[in-house]
Amino acid sequence: MKRILLAVFGILALAFATLTPAIAQSKGTVYYLVPTLLDEFQTGSVSALELFLKQVGYDFKSLNADNKTDAQQSQMNDVIALKPAAIVLAAVDFNALKPSIEAARAAGIPVVEFDRQITSTPSDFTSVAGTVEIGYVAADQAEKLLKAKNGSVKGKVLQVLGDPGDPYTLDIQKGFEEKMKAFPDVKIISLPAMQWEASNAGTIVADQMLANPDIDLIFSHAAHLSVAAVASLEAAGKKPGDVMLMSSNGAPVGLDLIRKGWLNVEVEQPLYAQAAAVAMFMDKVVKKEEIKPGEYDVLGLKSTVTKEAWGPNIKIPGAAITKENVDNPAFWGNQKPPTDTVKPVE
Amino acid sequence: MNPRTRHALELVLDNLVWFMLVFVLVVFSIFIPNYFQLGIFANIIEASSVLGVMSIGLALVIIAGHMDLSVESVAALSAMAVGILFCSSGIGLGVQVHPEWLMVPVSLLLALAVGGLIGAFNGFLVVKVKMSAFIITLASYIWVRGLVLVISGGRSAQDLAPAIRWFGIQRLIGLPLTAWIAIACFVVFSLILAKTPFGRHLVMIGGNETATFRAGIRVNRNLIIAFVLAGAIAGLAGWLLAIRTSGATANLGVGLLFNAFAAVVIGGVSLKGGVGTLPGVYAGVLLLSAINTAINLMGLPANFTQVIHGLLVLAAVLLDAFKQTIRQRLA
Repeated sequence: MKRILLAVFGILALAFATLTPAIAQSKGTVYYLVPTLLDEFQTGSVSALELFLKQVGYDFKSLNADNKTDAQQSQMNDVIALKPAAIVLAAVDFNALKPSIEAARAAGIPVVEFDRQITSTPSDFTSVAGTVEIGYVAADQAEKLLKAKNGSVKGKVLQVLGDPGDPYTLDIQKGFEEKMKAFPDVKIISLPAMQWEASNAGTIVADQMLANPDIDLIFSHAAHLSVAAVASLEAAGKKPGDVMLMSSNGAPVGLDLIRKGWLNVEVEQPLYAQAAAVAMFMDKVVKKEEIKPGEYDVLGLKSTVTKEAWGPNIKIPGAAITKENVDNPAFWGNQKPPTDTVKPVE
Repeated sequence: MNPRTRHALELVLDNLVWFMLVFVLVVFSIFIPNYFQLGIFANIIEASSVLGVMSIGLALVIIAGHMDLSVESVAALSAMAVGILFCSSGIGLGVQVHPEWLMVPVSLLLALAVGGLIGAFNGFLVVKVKMSAFIITLASYIWVRGLVLVISGGRSAQDLAPAIRWFGIQRLIGLPLTAWIAIACFVVFSLILAKTPFGRHLVMIGGNETATFRAGIRVNRNLIIAFVLAGAIAGLAGWLLAIRTSGATANLGVGLLFNAFAAVVIGGVSLKGGVGTLPGVYAGVLLLSAINTAINLMGLPANFTQVIHGLLVLAAVLLDAFKQTIRQRLA
């Protein structure tokens, strides 16, 4: 009996000795409030944030709101009660979370906005590619594609939006249409795929290819919608290259479609860099130190920190992925997380 | 009223949803540019395949006086299972079966088995444990969708094996084979419901379960079969969904449940049970699909779809009450 007790005590002592340094190393827990997991970008963001935040010494926990604003508000309230080192928020609704952000900051918990910029109230840090900017990049690519096909910037574009209640898709639409206004000979037909559901996008494409057989370019707001669009084009007897395609977010399926020749351009949200930026500045956020504006290198991407009305904001440029650069491992769609360790900004 | 007029009036009342469908198609064809063409009508039928098949299973359970809220999630799980095994991109494992055509029955059986198992689980709890069908299938609606997320990790499976995808591309008389599968399902299950003892017993159970039991009919067995069928048919809908989108995403089929309910109600199935026919449900499905297509072609904001669906369900209920009034007058 004594031996057993000694053995148990020995094991407990060893475990305590092993765990103590780990506890000592942790700078605290960071909670990530992810809007949904029904989307490859969001699923990838959980893994990327966990990877980079652990590299800079933080424990990591994530909560999924299932695309429900009220659920995310409740999660914010619960997390505030847990007094974490910081909260990273990718808001379901850009404005509805404002009171929760204010409550967290009033409780002394720093809030970092990830991927979805909230401008209605200050945050401690914001890391975005810029949804409106994704629209701009897409418009630049549409301009090139239409010019190459028709000799000048003219033709018909079918824009397959995501869910019409999602500010993310509305921002991309805003950016895209704002830039395309410069080309009056381009007709844009915009239709939303309710709830970002792929078969809805497929139906839209099937209908529109009959109503407007002269569509030059289909721009979907997410790669998985492009997959359904391709399925509809295939069912209509089209071959790769018959209709130009473009989508945004840079998911693995989009990159596969580029390799197969269906998709011309995928506008990437630089997931790894956005997540790495959060980790790079987390110490400063937690310690409430000043984040200096200027240019920073985030995983090789030149990114700019600016002081905005809503706090320090880093904008990381989204790249246009084409068949020329599709195999670049820096794109998150290639599922090769960076091997270099992220270093906190001094 | 002479018998011929009465008969004509009863025919109209029994098939009101079909008349509504024809009326809607005529109106859209006149007023919406590019609507009146065979390709668009083929699209309407094709787009309604998944919803149509899913509505069959739902209608069977509702006619039997119960409820199955899990059909949407079951379809998604079946689609994801097929996607993971038989897709070659994303999280697809690219499983090969030789000869290649064997992938069709294997994937179909997998989808049916996944759906049938969940249907059996629902049926067992509802019939044997005497729990509320609404609660049990609501729970299944939630946990099965969660399971989709668990097995996919939120990622997509894409590039379905060409042998299976063939059903979505190959056309017969202008319609893809997936649409013919849906039509065949409606024909088969309409006959089962109308012409077989099992079908008639389901209607009787939905009308008055106690009386049916006292008449010596095996109520529990029939109800469990109805739930298994609803699950398996939802599995088939998932198989068609995977074919249609050439893979599966974690949010595939989201929102289909409420459309299926709308189609069933518009098609004349009473939520109280014991009343309804599957041809009526098919008309309801086609009606919703025709309206969605019209909204696509008009470029209206998609939110209009939900408003119109809601108003249609309301109209269907009001029409049903109106039909009952007329029938009482005819009697």
